[in-house]
Amino acid sequence: MQAKRLVLQANKACWSKTTARIVYTGFLCCMEQPFLLETRSLSHRFADGAAVLNNINLQVPAGAVYGFLGANGAGKTTTLRLVLGLLKKQRGEILLFGRPLESNRLQALSRIGAMIESPSLYGHLTAAENLQVLQKVYRCPEARIAQVLEMVGLAATGNKKAARFSLGMKQRLSIAMALLHEPDLLILDEPTNGLDPNGMIEVRELLLHLNRQHGITIAISSHLLGEIEKMVSHVGIIHHGSLLFQGSLADLQQERAAGARMILKTSDRQKTMAIMQAQGMQATFSQDAFSLPMPGPEATALLIRQLVGQGVDVYELSPIKNDLEAIFMDMITN
Amino acid sequence: MNQYIHSFQSEWLKRKRSLASWLVICGAFFTPLIITTSKIVRHSMLASAGRSPQYWENLWKISWESMAVFLLPLGAILASSLITQLEYKNNSWKLLHTTPQSYRVIFLAKLSVILVMMLQFLVLFNIGIYFSGVLPGLLFGVPYPRQPIPYLHFLAENGRYFIACLPIIALQYLISLRFKNFLVPVGVGLVIWILSIAVLHWPYGHWIPYTYCGFNYLKDQAKHHQQFPPIPFALGYFTLFAVIAYILYLHQKEKG
Repeated sequence: MQAKRLVLQANKACWSKTTARIVYTGFLCCMEQPFLLETRSLSHRFADGAAVLNNINLQVPAGAVYGFLGANGAGKTTTLRLVLGLLKKQRGEILLFGRPLESNRLQALSRIGAMIESPSLYGHLTAAENLQVLQKVYRCPEARIAQVLEMVGLAATGNKKAARFSLGMKQRLSIAMALLHEPDLLILDEPTNGLDPNGMIEVRELLLHLNRQHGITIAISSHLLGEIEKMVSHVGIIHHGSLLFQGSLADLQQERAAGARMILKTSDRQKTMAIMQAQGMQATFSQDAFSLPMPGPEATALLIRQLVGQGVDVYELSPIKNDLEAIFMDMITN
Repeated sequence: MNQYIHSFQSEWLKRKRSLASWLVICGAFFTPLIITTSKIVRHSMLASAGRSPQYWENLWKISWESMAVFLLPLGAILASSLITQLEYKNNSWKLLHTTPQSYRVIFLAKLSVILVMMLQFLVLFNIGIYFSGVLPGLLFGVPYPRQPIPYLHFLAENGRYFIACLPIIALQYLISLRFKNFLVPVGVGLVIWILSIAVLHWPYGHWIPYTYCGFNYLKDQAKHHQQFPPIPFALGYFTLFAVIAYILYLHQKEKG
């Protein structure tokens, strides 16, 4: 209900740039898919020489919700900090809206809303005053302050100082600050950190709404794979500073489906192996279970019939999970 | 220019309700309050003091006595450090550096806020001095001081004290931009300030950049008659520290 309320509030808010943005994004999508954010061979090392990023080629298409996934320390935040110019680039190229970051920093930043790691708020100021600090810089109408506060459900915080907000409220205020100037690209680093399940749903609904109704491209990093899976259209998986996969979520799932496997547990290991070999199945055995490529429906039925026919009890026959979490774990462990 | 004005407005908002803004107000009225209290306690001397042809100069001298050597340098150290450290304290450098503002504008806007706060301090202090000069008399029915207020003299003195503070502000700004830990700028500031008190009688004391407020107060005393011009020294140090601060800030590898 709360999530619906937030979306309704966002709907009511005046979005002067929205229509133009959607038309523009739609137009670009028809022509070819441009990248609002792109890195080419981006590499970075810490002062001690340790490599943090190796040739990262990030491509965030216009209109996408791009999930940038990786375990803690994989290099997500470093990549995003480089993209926003918070870290000095060492090697590679960073393109924002098709132009190099170095020569186009201010214009690019005026079209980006960002939230990196923990919320950046002035604790001695109220929510409205925090937004006012940015409103002066972005020179957007003062009315936007009330609109974005409504949008993230913080309109009633009044004179309460930001330092006294809960973590969830701080996250929402940070998102409001990122949205204040109606950006074309939102870069959010772990925006659901510290939120309770209800807060996560609210933020997810809000981001999906912003993407679908207002055409805002969103790049969102997270290690909460289940949460990300529910909102992204594109995925980039980073591990130990290298990009393991990048593409649409559908592509990823399709690719993984081709290599889908299933688990088989029976009462007789040798008989089972012999039957599978006779059927030409390539199975491996570990931890009391066989793992084999997912056979077709007829082959599965035949396998079960033969096992039962030869007196082998079938304890378990199940497909290996193919959700984002399983894919991610599979990728980073292989 | 437009960008600078908006950036300044944004930075000015941040100091609202901050410790630094309270420090400016409380610091400015601290000495006048003490003087007012002392005059009320010794109210029998108000009438004779009010007839003095040097009434305002004497009041000015008394008011600046503790201010020039102790409170003003300390206030400048604390206020400069507190304002700059707001970004570290709130983890907001990364927010500031992802707004569409050039580094030059951010640097100048922040420095300007500190300078304007210093001016604000001087204005409030002058108001405090005025009230400490007239309020006790009003309370005890003593006539308004006979001597007219020497506005131009006070204005010139305010200007000299303001310039004398500039090296403190610039060096504190430099250190506060570099170090996340608040204790570093405050600690360094206090050490140089203590050193500056110790060297007031040393012939080469004027090379210490935090001494100029003290020297400005002592300038009329024969034994402190200076062979060096404190104003150009102060301006020189301010320019030097500000330029170094900007270069270091610009070349920071991590900006949040």
